[in-house]
Amino acid sequence: MARILVIEDDPDTAAEIVAELAGHGHDVRAVGDGGAGVELALREPFDAITLDRMLPELDGLSVVARLRAAGLTLPVLMISALGDVDERIAGLRAGGDDYLIKPFAPDEMAMRVEVLLRRQRQMAASTAMLVAGPVEMDLIRREVRVGGEAVRLLHMEFRLLEFLMRNAGETVARQIIFERVWGYYFDPGANLIAVHIARLRKKIDLPGRPSLIETVKGEGYRFDAG
Amino acid sequence: MLAEAQRNWPRFSAIRKTSTFRLAVMFGGAAVLAVLLVLAMVYSLTASNLDTRVDLILRAEMARLQALPESDLPAAVEASARAGANPLGHFGLISPGGRWVAGDLGASPPLRLGRTYAREDGPDVRGPLHILAQRTPNGAILMVGRDSTVITELRNNVLAILLASGLVVVPLLLGAGLALSLGPLRRVDRLQRVAGKIAAGRLDARMPVDGRGDELDLLADTVNQMVGEVERSMAQVRSVTDAIAHDLRTPLTRVRNQLYRAARAPQLPPAEARRIEAAIEDLDTVLARFAALLRISDLEAGHRRSGFAPTRIDELVAVVIDLYAPLAEEREVTLAAGDLPAATLLCDGQLMVEALSNLVDNAIKFSPIGGTVMVTIAQANDETVITVADEGPGIPPEQVAAVVRRFDRGAASPAVPGSGLGLSVVAAIAHLHQFALELRPARTDPARPGLRAQIRASTKNPK
Repeated sequence: MARILVIEDDPDTAAEIVAELAGHGHDVRAVGDGGAGVELALREPFDAITLDRMLPELDGLSVVARLRAAGLTLPVLMISALGDVDERIAGLRAGGDDYLIKPFAPDEMAMRVEVLLRRQRQMAASTAMLVAGPVEMDLIRREVRVGGEAVRLLHMEFRLLEFLMRNAGETVARQIIFERVWGYYFDPGANLIAVHIARLRKKIDLPGRPSLIETVKGEGYRFDAG
Repeated sequence: MLAEAQRNWPRFSAIRKTSTFRLAVMFGGAAVLAVLLVLAMVYSLTASNLDTRVDLILRAEMARLQALPESDLPAAVEASARAGANPLGHFGLISPGGRWVAGDLGASPPLRLGRTYAREDGPDVRGPLHILAQRTPNGAILMVGRDSTVITELRNNVLAILLASGLVVVPLLLGAGLALSLGPLRRVDRLQRVAGKIAAGRLDARMPVDGRGDELDLLADTVNQMVGEVERSMAQVRSVTDAIAHDLRTPLTRVRNQLYRAARAPQLPPAEARRIEAAIEDLDTVLARFAALLRISDLEAGHRRSGFAPTRIDELVAVVIDLYAPLAEEREVTLAAGDLPAATLLCDGQLMVEALSNLVDNAIKFSPIGGTVMVTIAQANDETVITVADEGPGIPPEQVAAVVRRFDRGAASPAVPGSGLGLSVVAAIAHLHQFALELRPARTDPARPGLRAQIRASTKNPK
């Protein structure tokens, strides 16, 4: 369970975010304006923030800038009705960690928050080795072993596996995979990620055993080491 | 520079077909003809006048001599013929038997009696003459002649003037025709180029108007008004589409979210859950299309420039090839990188990867099994050209303008999945960068012409 602060001036949207995140077992607090959000975030410990870009008085960009200026490194998911891609860039440059455009699917919002939380935890642990089931990934030497056997992965295959292992046990949408692994923010289509996953499966799956990467229909993919 | 100058210089075959050139030559020809006619009339009247005067002089001389007694004629003829008495006059007396008697004119043929005739030259007198010959009462032939060099010179001068005029006027006429045609031809060339852009779907392009108010300006104005109207109409259609997409996104997302919660309700029968999941998937597809539509509008509005930076386009191409290689392999299509020289463009790297991804994705999608998709970069004449060529069915030239419009898939098989927005996105990204998107057949095989999709970026004046 994580403590999450929701800064959102629209009550319906705030209720939706709170309900979804609470449904994922998190402790969620919500405030309706930027100033109160900054005050609360500086006063109490939170693990992540969802932040509306367009807030009255103190807008989202200013909020995240103040939080960063105060030394807070917790992940911030910016949520905005501004679909302009320049706005996404502005949000990320101001200190946001991810950007979601309204109207949004709550499951995607929760998935993005989960990804940010896990990344934050792993950064704190600063691990050099990822281990999930039979897969061992040496992040320093960039080597992968499955069941003790070395597996040669291409650069992007390594990054894809690393991302899935860092989010092991959780479903991640293909759009999030594309953004986090390849770093691009357009819809690549369903097939593209599917074939990359299929190639990775061929390299890491053990014969006669269920695939380590499960397809979650309509949602995305989940690394499941059993 | 030379190549550019040659490209800008119209060919003579094109010039001589212009109405300006034809009019210039026609009017010039008419003017030359008129001058010729005037000169001919001047010559004819002057020569006729001189002939008449010479004839009168000759008849007067003839009358003077005929009035003398027959016995005095040899002496009178001899006296008249002597130099100094009459420098232009020539005289002769021939006996009835045809023997020369007196004077400086002999009995050289042809000898025409009773009327003045011209003789170019003769053994007795050199030079052109007008001669009048008459019989005397006792049968001798009295000849009176006059030097007609003046008349001959006049004719020669007029002919020389005509020839010189022709030699000078004809090249001048052609030169004037060429010079007068170049300007309009260049303007027509500019108009043609813009018309080509408009035909290719660039409705923001406008015909150049020089402000002279001539017929080309009037034509350009009319075309610009027409294109403006078409653009406004299409913008209205787009605006309505965008408004629908924008307004429907929120309620559709709410419906989707409610379905999402419903699907997670406890004790939901599996069949119901599957139906709800299917509905969510369909709604996700609709929402993705709406998002793409709004994104195209966003790009077309041309505001997004914060991501512009000098970018190695060859590296972006390599990223896209790396990204799509597994997909191509799965479809049994060879995705190959051709010549990829280092090339830097001022562009938004994210957007260029998106545009190239769409082109490569399309090329793979429409390629036959075993086909090849080739991606290359070429640099020439201040231009960088990125080409994605496939061996698929291609796009007929008459459908090129349509396929870059939203939801228009041209003659693409319905079996091939797609939203009809991919090329619209590419066109919008190219438009934002002020790059040109060109779609042409890649091969000469009419059965499978393939598609050569090119993004042409001018590096002369980076925006």
